[in-house]
Amino acid sequence: MIATFHRHAAWAGLGLALLLASPPLRSLLEARMASHMLLQFPLLMLAGACLAHAAPPALQRRLAAWNAHGIAGLTLAAGVLALSMVPRLLDLALTHRPTEVAKFTLLMLSGAALHLSWRAAGTVLQGFFLGNTLPMMGMAGWLYGDAPVRICNAYGFDDQQTVGLALSWTAAAIAAVWLVIATRGLIRAESAQQTGEQAP
Amino acid sequence: MIRTACVSVVFAVLVIVAGRWLTHDFAVWTAEGARRWQVQQAPVVAPPIQLQTAALGVQPLADLLGQGRQVTVLSFFYTRCPSICLSLGNTLQQMQLALQQQPPAAVQLLSVSFDPVHDGPHALQAYSRQMRADPALWQFATPVDAAALHALLTPFGVVVIADGQGGFDHNAALLIINRQGQLVRIFDDTDHEAALAFAWHLVQDGGGG
Repeated sequence: MIATFHRHAAWAGLGLALLLASPPLRSLLEARMASHMLLQFPLLMLAGACLAHAAPPALQRRLAAWNAHGIAGLTLAAGVLALSMVPRLLDLALTHRPTEVAKFTLLMLSGAALHLSWRAAGTVLQGFFLGNTLPMMGMAGWLYGDAPVRICNAYGFDDQQTVGLALSWTAAAIAAVWLVIATRGLIRAESAQQTGEQAP
Repeated sequence: MIRTACVSVVFAVLVIVAGRWLTHDFAVWTAEGARRWQVQQAPVVAPPIQLQTAALGVQPLADLLGQGRQVTVLSFFYTRCPSICLSLGNTLQQMQLALQQQPPAAVQLLSVSFDPVHDGPHALQAYSRQMRADPALWQFATPVDAAALHALLTPFGVVVIADGQGGFDHNAALLIINRQGQLVRIFDDTDHEAALAFAWHLVQDGGGG
């Protein structure tokens, strides 16, 4: 049962990655700034996460030895997300093949790293990661939304404003969802302690 | 834990190296900034293409750039442009006025349309009249075909995109071409005084480098 699930994740990750790399879908998603940044980027991370999920347990254990509390993975993911907010990346990925290849690879790697590190990180480190990444995302959103001129040569002004607004809202939404999940976890741990049982 | 710390440091260093490369040492954040930075570091030679001019028939770009005698302020536009090219046009009119008060023929203006399909000689002439351009100081031209257009826009980093309403958006700017026919500096069109000062500096420098 678990083996089947892992196989499904492998096929899903591989299929998604190949689909995203296929020229028609690439040009379609990269034709607009919003779909480039807000659809292609997270889908690449999802593909990476699926592949990491499908990795054999032995390999996952070996990686975990280099990734105590998920710190190495979260460092990688935070760095890649910071790079992906640089406006030049969006333009350069369209015209410079090595940049496009690096963008695909790094976003998939960061998705995989997040998947392998998130649970191990625990609430405190998760909060630290989000406390770095989300304000950066909100700031990028504010800059895109507020800029009086086009920031990317390849994308129009309206597109840029949509991205700005969406980035800010996405950052806020992720923060809210995480807060709910983290709070629920804390409450559960507390009540488990009170009844003398072990936390689930 | 030591292993994790080492891997984390390696990741952080790699990200910083990549960030430095992407932003030219944290100096530029946009493709436009990078284009200007790169031109300043390494001049770009004007490609050997033919252009259709408003009044002088088909001319090689080298001739339009003054063949070693003149510094050129090059800008891109299209005649049907409703907004940004008009403000660029106003800027160029002011620059023409400034040039008319200087000794002639040292600095000239060249406006190149990236829409050769619509901007034949007649459209260019009409636009030149509309701008009250002085033909001795300010010329209008467009590449003879799509291949020539591509050969011009690509090395100069000019990006033209459809604006969704039948027109175009483009990274409008003032491109300074020295007497050797090299693009050496790019200015915002709002920075036209600095652009002219730089062009005059190239003239007085003699070499134009």
